[in-house]
Amino acid sequence: MQPAARSYTCNWCGTVSDGVSLTCPACGATINIAAIVTPTGWTEVPGRKDMTHIQLGKSSMQIEGLYVPVADFNLAAEDSVYFTHHVLLWKENSVNITMMPMKGGWKRAFSGMPIFMTQAKGPGHIAFSRDNPGELLAIPIQPGHALDVREHMFLAATSHVAYDFFNTNIWFSTKNGDDTEYHYPIGNFMDRFTAPQQPGLLLIHASGNVYVRQLAPGQSILIKPTALIFKDPSVSMQLHFEHPASGGGGFFSMLTSFALRYLWLRITGPGRVAIQSAFEPVEDSGASIYGHSPATDQRW
Amino acid sequence: MSVIPPNPAAAPIERLKCGWCQGLNLPTALSCQFCGAPLNLKDVVSESGWREAPRLKDMVEFHFSKSTCQVEGEIVPVAEINLAQGDSVYFEHHVMLWKDQNVPMQVMQLPGGMKRMLAGMPFIISVASGPGRVAFSRDATGELVVLPLHPGMEMDVREHAFLLASNNIAYSYLRIKGLRNILFGGQGMFMDRFVTTNNSGLLLLHGYGNVFERVLKPGESIIIEPGAFLYKDSTVQMNVQMQQLTTGLFGGTAMSLAQMVGPGRVGIQSMYVHHSTD
Repeated sequence: MQPAARSYTCNWCGTVSDGVSLTCPACGATINIAAIVTPTGWTEVPGRKDMTHIQLGKSSMQIEGLYVPVADFNLAAEDSVYFTHHVLLWKENSVNITMMPMKGGWKRAFSGMPIFMTQAKGPGHIAFSRDNPGELLAIPIQPGHALDVREHMFLAATSHVAYDFFNTNIWFSTKNGDDTEYHYPIGNFMDRFTAPQQPGLLLIHASGNVYVRQLAPGQSILIKPTALIFKDPSVSMQLHFEHPASGGGGFFSMLTSFALRYLWLRITGPGRVAIQSAFEPVEDSGASIYGHSPATDQRW
Repeated sequence: MSVIPPNPAAAPIERLKCGWCQGLNLPTALSCQFCGAPLNLKDVVSESGWREAPRLKDMVEFHFSKSTCQVEGEIVPVAEINLAQGDSVYFEHHVMLWKDQNVPMQVMQLPGGMKRMLAGMPFIISVASGPGRVAFSRDATGELVVLPLHPGMEMDVREHAFLLASNNIAYSYLRIKGLRNILFGGQGMFMDRFVTTNNSGLLLLHGYGNVFERVLKPGESIIIEPGAFLYKDSTVQMNVQMQQLTTGLFGGTAMSLAQMVGPGRVGIQSMYVHHSTD
């Protein structure tokens, strides 16, 4: 008697596979282990075996290494990927690199985002990596779906994934003498990736470990702004300023605690949000805030 | 059924060959006695032909000359050397982690000190001599690459990437030829060169992130980000390849890439030193 066919739904990307392989064919996640979820609801990104293979139509990709993983594409002649040029690690002679046209170049240049997106066309191998230890996230994007990614997190994407960006409207300003200084804790712009017609693959490199949480409608959580990796477009963002109580301890500690404030990003569901465990400190001199985007405030 | 006992005198001595350093080991060995590579695991090779540097087990030990090296930790590994009397190792002094107080230290005499200093290379190479223990590590997540050098080998290494070498390896430096290579090659002006003559020696590198090696055939070439270069056999040629990327509005930019042409080994690191485009 033939054994009953078993299917497996990847708990990272939702792809249904035959369960024969030990890894998800669409994102490379290990499928024979239970999801690791903290009591607070954060799910660790599923483990990935070294040299995991992902099939992308006629092309394929392999993720190599564990500390600073490398995304090694084997591009078919008709396929291409795009990337920011400084993540290129190596390539074969046969892979042709060209510039990808992008709109809003001046706005991107002024806000510190990459103004050039580079495109590599097969046939041949080309590999990418970033410059700090962390995890490589392979995220299949289905038609009709979109994902918002914080600037400088993007590694590469297949050509079926469309790229756009939008204004985050997360900012505050301070005064330095007569000068007004504007601060953008998650950047002025955020990348948005969609798949208009066909499914595509998006690759993100995050620093440290990665955790994902599904927020219910109206559910809110505070995260460090630079810990944000990606979110569903349905998830909204707002600044939150928190001022700790002085706790006594004399004039000096009262003075310093008065100037101290914690800067948070309030994330409100519904939808997914992903954070990284290694993140840059947000620069905040503690100077009086002159103006800001919609925000909440808490004084203890 | 009768079993014929083996005759030790007649049986050939079987040896396990290490796939990384080609050293011959006892059949019962789990790790190579010359480089520490696991002998009971298959090589990890990508579909594109890059081989991962062997993942050294925590606390693995291997030998060179009369001394031993133990690798401790896995995220930022430490090389702890137990130097025998008469053995010594040399290194850049800032990679020293700790040492026994009775291990004597001296400075290696190097030609071209001023040139090296101006080029940003270490102009002082320190030497530690046995007996005693001394340990080394670098300042970022990465892998220890153990390269036992057999007699007659020449190895070129990215500047500041070498952790230590045993005293029977000759150390020199190689000025990178061609103004274009110096200005755009991303390697600086010099590379370290390690040469063995009649004796074997041990060369230890620290690669940032993960380390991969590829053996290029004669004439075969691969293009790499210059900051990813870690080491190569001296037979491998390194040339600069400028990749022009143009757009109508901004005029474009140029990437300088390194073309490596075989024959020989090329090692790269995945967390590379980034060199901005012009």
